[in-house]
Amino acid sequence: MNKSRQIEIWVGLFMAIGFVALFFLAMQVSNLGTAYTGDTFRVTARFDNIGGLKVKARVTIAGVEVGQVTEIHYDPDDFRAVVEMGLQSQYLNRIPDDSFAKILTAGLLGEQYVGLDPGGSEDTLADGSEISVTQSALVLEEVVGQFIFGKGQEGKQ
Amino acid sequence: MIELFAQLGGWGMQALTRLGRAHLLLLPLLRGGLDILRRPRLLVDQLFSVGVLTILIIAVAGLFVGMVLGLQGYYILSRFGGETALGLMVAASLVRELGPVLTALLFAGRAGSALTAEIGLMKATEQLSGLEMMAVNPQYRILAPRFFAGIVSVPLLAALFSMLGVMGGWMVGGGMLGVDKAAFWNGMQGGIDFHEDIVNGVIKSVVFGVVCTWIAIFQGYDCVPTSEGVSRATTRTVVHSSLAVLGLDFVLTAMMFS
Amino acid sequence: MTEVDDSAEQPPLVRIRGLRFRRGSRWIFDGLDIDIPRGGLTAIMGPSGTGKTTLLKLIGAQLRPDEGTVEVDGENVHALSTPDLYRLRMRMGMLFQSGALLTDMSVFDNVAFPLREHTHLNESMIRKLVLLKLEAVGLRGARDLMPSELSGGMARRVALARAIALDPMMIMYDEPFTGQDPISMGVLVQLIRRLNDAARITSIVVSHDVAETLGIADLVYVISNGRVVESGTPAQLSESGGDWTRQFIRGLPDGPVPFHYPAPPLRGDVLGAQR
Repeated sequence: MNKSRQIEIWVGLFMAIGFVALFFLAMQVSNLGTAYTGDTFRVTARFDNIGGLKVKARVTIAGVEVGQVTEIHYDPDDFRAVVEMGLQSQYLNRIPDDSFAKILTAGLLGEQYVGLDPGGSEDTLADGSEISVTQSALVLEEVVGQFIFGKGQEGKQ
Repeated sequence: MIELFAQLGGWGMQALTRLGRAHLLLLPLLRGGLDILRRPRLLVDQLFSVGVLTILIIAVAGLFVGMVLGLQGYYILSRFGGETALGLMVAASLVRELGPVLTALLFAGRAGSALTAEIGLMKATEQLSGLEMMAVNPQYRILAPRFFAGIVSVPLLAALFSMLGVMGGWMVGGGMLGVDKAAFWNGMQGGIDFHEDIVNGVIKSVVFGVVCTWIAIFQGYDCVPTSEGVSRATTRTVVHSSLAVLGLDFVLTAMMFS
Repeated sequence: MTEVDDSAEQPPLVRIRGLRFRRGSRWIFDGLDIDIPRGGLTAIMGPSGTGKTTLLKLIGAQLRPDEGTVEVDGENVHALSTPDLYRLRMRMGMLFQSGALLTDMSVFDNVAFPLREHTHLNESMIRKLVLLKLEAVGLRGARDLMPSELSGGMARRVALARAIALDPMMIMYDEPFTGQDPISMGVLVQLIRRLNDAARITSIVVSHDVAETLGIADLVYVISNGRVVESGTPAQLSESGGDWTRQFIRGLPDGPVPFHYPAPPLRGDVLGAQR
């Protein structure tokens, strides 16, 4: 009886540890724990080039996360990428509508995210608004290309 | 020359019949799951010998693998100034690959071989025949609880392995090498997707659990009931399980992450 | 066919007809006919390797014959569905050579095992029954020991208690006397006979221990080369047996079963050139 009780306790402990580990992986290691689950409002922005931006990437203002990229698609009419973002509803009508959306990279090798630079307008972003001023992702090949091209031009002059 | 072909053919036939017997065993194993629902006590006892007794080796291995990953990753990434990606690198390699695969390999060595030896000895000492003559089906009463205990244990052990690995990586990266804490964890959380990485990793380890336990149980049940037969079967369990895990890992990875 | 005791008018409990069983290319049984009368103690004897254990497994339907039938209590065991077979097996006990006790349970739990698996008795009832069965084999005091702590003879007695736990109609003993010291051998001989007489349990003893087996059997079958070579009461056998039986019963080193494994003549083999 005593021994079988011990076995039960150990097995219970084992299951608990296992599920704690699974919970840890889900909440602490993956993006599930960082996902904002409250209400959001939708804002879109058009970029010439989104680089490696992916759905669920962070949207930040001054480095603080305020939302997530919810959808990315290509608009064949104006040849640009449309990025839909879900911003946390506490910021509804709090962000100027002339804010500047940039696609940034965390560190040299890190993941890409959207950074918003607040503008000075009186009007604010509401559900369904579009951010008109955008800056595309920095694509390394293009930067390098421009650099070499620039050097070439310099040499000619 | 012809003899060689005849021998190869003979081995092929032997392997095929064995494969067939292994699959025939699967049905009673699953059917035995019904008995477990009625008597969960059978499963609890096996969870102890299959799962609990494997915790220590998994925990120690996970911690050290994570620490090595932290160290190696740091040296490689710091060459490119990419230390911030250390957390992501450690976590991704653990959650996607090393956690499930190394856990399954260690499980085959620790619990799988023990299962084969136990069942093989029960066969050699006529305990299984004895159960049959007592009108108790050993496939339901002995094999099925062990099978399900393995299936439950491996994913939990793999999760434990990955968790301790991430912690080990953090201890080395954050504690010893001074990687920024926020960068470590944010990079990890930004790069690891719950469905794509965690869930797929768990699916992998469930598959490995099924395969390793199945092989172990089959080898024990199918062994030649002598001491030599049992020891051969034990070796076969470890070899077959390891190969099956590595092969299946490639297939699963190709299916999931491509 | 010799009839035993008062069971003359009853049909035999086990009827084996034309049994053929092959292992690899070797015929272990080649047309075996055996009747086991109810309530008697029937011994099946033969040299090692004649498949005596195999015969018990065929009766218990753990193995399937290539040809022939085995009927137990009027039912063809190899034609039964699995649930019916299991119901029949609950009425058969079998004592394995090694005892076949479950090594991870105590003596008490081993004897209680069939009761817990097949009955819905409560624990106090099971306890009473187990203690009674253990008392019958004289091991009530050993109930808390683990199988690894038992001597070979004690393990067999515990296994016997387990075999009679469900009050079967018959018990099959597989080599019950092999490897026992004289005292535990005597104990087992006594026990087997007593169980047979007290509970009218039909007993089948498979053995090659001549003296012990002939001492307690009512009816003896001697098998060799897959067939019954002789049958009868022990008395009939010892006086009238043929050459082969006489060699077997007296334990003569040479006779119909030659001392030498077949070989070419010694002179040529030893002095001739090596192959």
